[in-house]
Amino acid sequence: MSVPEAQGDGPLIHRRYVFGLLLRLCVTFAAGVGILFAILFFALSRPLPGDYAGVFHALRNLSPFLRPILAISVLVYALLACGSTSALSVYILHKVAGPLYRMDLVLDQYRADTPTRTVSFRNGDQIQPLAQAFNLWIGTLRRDRQRWLATMNDAERHCLQDETTCRAEREEALRKITEDMARYR
Amino acid sequence: MRNPSTQPPRARIRYVNPRFQGPAVLAFAAVIAIGGAIFWKLVDGEFQVAFRQAAIRGHYTFDSAYDIVRDILAWRLAELFAGVFLAGSILVLLLVAAARHGIGKAVDSLRASADRDLSTPTGACPIGEFDRFGGKIDAARSDTLASVMRIRSEAAALAAGGISPAEFGLRWDELKQRIRRIAP
Repeated sequence: MSVPEAQGDGPLIHRRYVFGLLLRLCVTFAAGVGILFAILFFALSRPLPGDYAGVFHALRNLSPFLRPILAISVLVYALLACGSTSALSVYILHKVAGPLYRMDLVLDQYRADTPTRTVSFRNGDQIQPLAQAFNLWIGTLRRDRQRWLATMNDAERHCLQDETTCRAEREEALRKITEDMARYR
Repeated sequence: MRNPSTQPPRARIRYVNPRFQGPAVLAFAAVIAIGGAIFWKLVDGEFQVAFRQAAIRGHYTFDSAYDIVRDILAWRLAELFAGVFLAGSILVLLLVAAARHGIGKAVDSLRASADRDLSTPTGACPIGEFDRFGGKIDAARSDTLASVMRIRSEAAALAAGGISPAEFGLRWDELKQRIRRIAP
């Protein structure tokens, strides 16, 4: 099977979308690191006491407090970054997840013999070729169905004549349909 | 006919598909958590050493603890950003590649179906959501093929003859109904 992008129906996922996602991710991570820096800056930038002994003791006593300060600041960073990245993922990926969800529903409807309408995705949604390919398939099926029904209706017209001709025409129509359906594999 | 300008704007729906978006969110969270843990481990050790060395040096030319660890912090934060962004970017590219591959297979499969090939499996990539989606497409194709095959065998049986006119008429009508149910 060939790659869909090579068939000229547009890419499944546009480069612009990927670059946009990377850019937003970059900004989110930069903001997270910025917040981490701000927390550590405010925690560490308190002025040390002026005299020699005060500075010495302040530095010696800083170590036990450093671990919780670091732990809390990293935890805040992780929570903020995870939260914003999760929101970003949901916001950005819905352009792929949304069409997939829609196609899921359409396939369920199709299998339940519910009338299927032409599928179209929202503006800006990715994976547009999926809708086109599905519409192409349903279009082929409907054309074939119409052709088979037309063949049967044509045969039925001969039933205005005698019964033998009617039966012969119908059987001929059925043979044509059988032959036509043999293309399905 | 309704005037489109008077219709309320259609609400934008942000579908949340946990099977697709959930693993992506978890993967990004794991990258951030691992990055944060490595940062914590490295910075903790380096800060302890830097403060101990500054305390015993005895020549205090700084106003705050921040002045002592400024360079270490700047470098480690830059590394944290670079590391997390790089890992996140790789994750994005992997996600996009998986989506392209998985959905590409589904598109190929539907195009093959338009050429009346309903039996070649979609063969989507074995990543949960795409595999399940490929399976769903295969199920729809398989149903259609089974339906067409049933109609075909019934048509062949009718065309073979040897059926009474009354029964032929009934089965003919039933066959038409069955054909009408294809892709309704």
